Amino acid sequence: MQTVTLTPNRSPTISIEAEKITPDAFAGKSAAEIRAIGAWEGNEEITLADIFDVAVDGSGDAAETKIVIDGDVPRVKRIGEAMTAGEIVVKGDVDMRCGALMSGGSITVEGNADSWVGREMTGGEILVKGNATCYAGGGYRGETCGMRGGKLTIEGDVLDYLGEHMCGGEILVKGNARLLAGVLNWSGKITIEGDTTLPGGEMKSGTIFVKGKVLEMLPSYKDEGTEEVDGVTYRKYIGDLSRNGEGVLYVSV
Amino acid sequence: MAEMIIKNGVVYDPKNGIDGEKNEICIKDGKIVENVGAGAKIVDAEGCVVMAGGVDGHTHCAGKINTGRIMSPHDMRYAPIPGLSGEEPRTKLLRPQVGYNTPNTYAIGYRYSKLGYTSIAEAAITPMMARHMHEEFEEIPILDKLGLVLMGSNWQVMQYIQDKDPEKLKAYMAWLLLASRGYGVKIVNPGGGSSWTWGKNVSGLDDKVVDFDVTPADILIGLAEANEALNLPHSIHVHCNNLGVPGNISTTLDTMKLLEKVKTKRDRQVMHVTHVQFNAYTGTSWMDFASGAQDVADYINKRDHLTFDMGQLMFGPAMTMTADGPTEYRNARMFDAKWSNYDQELEDAGGVVPLNYTSQHFAHATMWSIGLELALLVKDPWKVMFTTDNPNGGAFVNYPEGQALLMSDKKRQEVIAGFPDMTMDRISLPNIDRELDWGEIATMTRAMSAKMLGLEEKGHLGVGADADVAIYNIQPDKVDPSVEHEKIKKALSFAKYTIKGGEIVVRDGEITATPKGKVYWVNAYENGITPAEKDRLMTDLEERFKKYYSIQLSNYMVEDAYLPRPVEIRPEVI
Repeated sequence: MQTVTLTPNRSPTISIEAEKITPDAFAGKSAAEIRAIGAWEGNEEITLADIFDVAVDGSGDAAETKIVIDGDVPRVKRIGEAMTAGEIVVKGDVDMRCGALMSGGSITVEGNADSWVGREMTGGEILVKGNATCYAGGGYRGETCGMRGGKLTIEGDVLDYLGEHMCGGEILVKGNARLLAGVLNWSGKITIEGDTTLPGGEMKSGTIFVKGKVLEMLPSYKDEGTEEVDGVTYRKYIGDLSRNGEGVLYVSV
Repeated sequence: MAEMIIKNGVVYDPKNGIDGEKNEICIKDGKIVENVGAGAKIVDAEGCVVMAGGVDGHTHCAGKINTGRIMSPHDMRYAPIPGLSGEEPRTKLLRPQVGYNTPNTYAIGYRYSKLGYTSIAEAAITPMMARHMHEEFEEIPILDKLGLVLMGSNWQVMQYIQDKDPEKLKAYMAWLLLASRGYGVKIVNPGGGSSWTWGKNVSGLDDKVVDFDVTPADILIGLAEANEALNLPHSIHVHCNNLGVPGNISTTLDTMKLLEKVKTKRDRQVMHVTHVQFNAYTGTSWMDFASGAQDVADYINKRDHLTFDMGQLMFGPAMTMTADGPTEYRNARMFDAKWSNYDQELEDAGGVVPLNYTSQHFAHATMWSIGLELALLVKDPWKVMFTTDNPNGGAFVNYPEGQALLMSDKKRQEVIAGFPDMTMDRISLPNIDRELDWGEIATMTRAMSAKMLGLEEKGHLGVGADADVAIYNIQPDKVDPSVEHEKIKKALSFAKYTIKGGEIVVRDGEITATPKGKVYWVNAYENGITPAEKDRLMTDLEERFKKYYSIQLSNYMVEDAYLPRPVEIRPEVI
């Protein structure tokens, strides 16, 4: 078992591209080696030592590696990008694209996450204890497939385009979701425990559960009556018909 | 400028009848010359193939490609061909590069140069977009460029054809070339672009265009005859009606036959039919759709009035972009893909749709086969230009793959073996064992395309030609293209040397210099067009601009400042 503790030593104002903060990159490395790992701050190449104090306890492979970021890193992007195993715990906020392309392991963000958390993830689990902004579990700009597998849980609220272009996996939002959750979806399951607006725009297939209220409903959904799922009665809608969609939208009654 | 001599290379120069001889090439002041002095810089091409710099006579590299870029930010992630795709940071010499199907302008210049290409023709630009095309041209380094101007759905063109006023049509075409600093006449889905303004299309040569009393056949003949009356260096460049529709082969053959009656005084075709792969389908629907390459090739083998290019399809992501608006709408609906649409006032329509071609889809596999069949079944390489209709059929960085496929039956059979069974009775490629030799490849990629465009200083290595040379690291007597596909592909992908205007721009597959290229344009406005004729035209133009255009006539013309290195071609008055 290897535990790597990164303690932020300053508060950068320019965002930092730090896609190498992953158990895969840290596994088996000494503190000195981890300090020397590169990142970009704006157009300047830096090392992790420039932004973190690094402490390492033990040694292990990626699956046995736990990274603890001991504080807020609201300007550090791409934490856990493409990670395959191990664990990351952030005791504060993170910047955009946390857990993008991850295929295994777990990430816990105790604060808030910025946009594109879990972008195109294919496996593993992400838990955000605070809020997330736009495109949680979404796709890369221009691509037509977002999250493909794994599980993304957000205990707070999210903003727009939750699970945009989602192709698989599961998203759970315990708070509210703003506009167009599940937009352009192909597959997968989204559960929103709070309220949302215009869910499922241009959804082709996939499933959305709304346990709170739908503040505004798209006109291009067909009412299929009520249905009981796991002991809860929902009103069931099929759409988005504007795209010949066969997605299912359950709204609690 | 310093002198240079290329020694010991095996030269393929089809225009001058040189087919694999060890010749020396002498260069002085950016031109090929008879001989040079003793102090000339020696380029040792021992063990290499030497050809003229490649000429791509049909590519989409400025204009609509920008919409493709906007629609595909993810294109920057595609890097299937190391060294010719993906992201590369700037260096002391080079600007940053990014993208695959829709690379940035710098990458277009660098990558074509690495392939040994030195001249490219942007294939479709409306006059309204011409200023933008020239702005992009300025930022495409190294290459010489030219733009073909869309005229096949232009209201004024159709009006003059309807009025049977060939003199005014001639004057207007020449004026359009002047206004846009364009090189030649492009016709895309004649009449269809105009009908698309009303959500309609034309379905064949004899349909009436919406709101006009003309047919696609009238437009083709009208423009072709005026093109020859103006004695333009290039013929009309035609994208036939019904592109991408099963059964469109009849329209394609009718179009080819229609142009038989047009005569030219120049030593070239009267029509270049572009990306014929997309226009050579038999059948009545996608269910019974099959290759019509044999019929098209049989016709072309018997006739000498036309040339064509392949529009070869390459598997993987592609970005379709064409002035054929209705086709792009159909593509977007059929594949549930992103769609962008143009309506360029009185001039033409257009669209951009990203697609992904896979060898596991019988339709795509069949299309891949048709392009190769066309090039292999047409006997005379002087009638065939190698293209992928970049990036419609695939990105130009795949040219070496396509060219190497034409040289290897074995490799083609290997690819076909992986196709779905549904493909097999639709194609004839498995029974075609022709393998092109280096001379034929040199013809299809430079000599023919330069001749087809009427660029006399390009595509060959004779005295007086521009000193654009490609040297590929391959020994034709030692490497057998029919079995060493990868070796050929690699050699064609990264030239040992590319020389542009007498300057070495690529060495061992790396860019060594980035000179600015020239822009060719044709000025035929003084070509037998009388002042009275010009006055008549101007009266019309003033009225049209006042009534319909969103911009002023005085802001329409592309100014000299947009062409820092122009080459103005004035056709001989006939």
